Amino acid sequence: MIIVTDALNRDRHTDIIDEMYRLRTRVFQDRLGWDVKVTDGREFDAFDALDPVYIIALDDDGHVVGCMRLLQTTGPHMLSDVFHEILDGEPPLRSAQVWEATRFCVDTERLARAGRARNSISYVTSEVMIAAFEYGRASGILDAVAVIDPVMNRVMIRSGNAPYDYLGTAKPMGKVTAMAALMDCSEERVARLRDFSDIRHDVLTPENIVRAAFESARKPTTHDHLPEALRTYLEEQIAAAGSADEQTAAKALAATIAARYAKEDGQKSQSVH
Amino acid sequence: MMDLIDLSKIPDADDRFVRFLDDLCQTLEFDHASYATLNPVLGTVQGFANYRPDWIEHYTRKGLHRIDPTLHYGRKSISPVDWDRLERTPHFRSVFDDAPQFGVSDRGMTVPVRGPYGDFGLLSVTRDCKQQEWESLKKKVMGNLQVAAVHMHDNVMQSDLAMATLHRPALSGRECEILQWVAEGKSQQDIGDILSISHRTVEVHLRSGRSKLGALTTAQAVGRAVSLGLVKPG
Repeated sequence: MIIVTDALNRDRHTDIIDEMYRLRTRVFQDRLGWDVKVTDGREFDAFDALDPVYIIALDDDGHVVGCMRLLQTTGPHMLSDVFHEILDGEPPLRSAQVWEATRFCVDTERLARAGRARNSISYVTSEVMIAAFEYGRASGILDAVAVIDPVMNRVMIRSGNAPYDYLGTAKPMGKVTAMAALMDCSEERVARLRDFSDIRHDVLTPENIVRAAFESARKPTTHDHLPEALRTYLEEQIAAAGSADEQTAAKALAATIAARYAKEDGQKSQSVH
Repeated sequence: MMDLIDLSKIPDADDRFVRFLDDLCQTLEFDHASYATLNPVLGTVQGFANYRPDWIEHYTRKGLHRIDPTLHYGRKSISPVDWDRLERTPHFRSVFDDAPQFGVSDRGMTVPVRGPYGDFGLLSVTRDCKQQEWESLKKKVMGNLQVAAVHMHDNVMQSDLAMATLHRPALSGRECEILQWVAEGKSQQDIGDILSISHRTVEVHLRSGRSKLGALTTAQAVGRAVSLGLVKPG
């Protein structure tokens, strides 16, 4: 499931964004060895202060497992201000209809444990890309320039999502190299990505479902405090879910109700004291 | 306190920006359009609009630019903001409740533009129509609206003397090379073949070149590049 955050809704999702900063630390500092600034376990830089859009992927258990950051190329962005080395000293692109994608990553450790299917590396990579391209298309964007590493580049080529070109040349960056890939933000590319990953549903998930999944992951509480009939009902709903989407929705419902009851319990004990 | 300056009311101001907004409404099928930018040096909001004069008067007199969420939230977005996302912000109703009596629809959208020097601009458009019509209109014109917003913003910035001195279009070698071939009459396909790159790559550099030169068409971009000595006349 995917949530898109920007300056208008991020106040409601600071905890999810916080998890994303931690994921970025694990990927860009720990795994790729990029020279990034990490504060209290969170990787964020000056460009995060420019109100970017984040495309954030969560797995079915409500953990942040993938992300991407989007900025306009008409204003300050990484290729113009930080990664100009990649462009061999050439000025960057600037266009109303080109966005820059940076800090694109997935949680390979967690996803490798999950193995194949809905929580695999290639599924989440495709999910993030589909969301970014569809979101871009709705905003009138025609192309994206993405700063990526060769591993991500290979994953994309193998997922029906090969860049149509590159700007400048790949440059060493920490343990790996970084490159600037060009991708058309087109219906055809989205179709190829969807065919490859067999993702047919709307990847942008309603905010309340994402929030419920995220919050239930933070509170892996049992549902013991619920009245027995209600608990049985919720467990049956989860067991009877026909598809992964239904299961997510059933778990989200259980989490919401469990949280509601926990709050009421808290209030009751308060009124006793 | 920020002042609101109607740029079209400045004596001797040329009217090309208001005409641009009129043309935009005509071609993209909107009722009204406005453009605003914050001048970081003067601390003023400067703008143009083709709303009815009595709405502009009302808006200015009440100082609505100080609370208008289309300005204050719009500027923080990177993508166009449909005003339905702003309806629940504290001041949306106080700004727009009176709008219909001035012939201004509260169905609208704001396209934010970020410039290279931390400058920003906001192009807003409105249209009084049904939801379905609005959605299909958005889909149809979103790309053009993005281009128009950046074009308007860049031209307003460049019309300002202080900004003009800062503005030097930084074309990449590829962009110059492609514009040079265009000047010599080659098609995009030809240029792709000559440079052994895809026509899509030719196109992305052309779009970027046009944007940096503040041009809407490739012919205009070639003209400006020639006049700046970046490209030799074909």
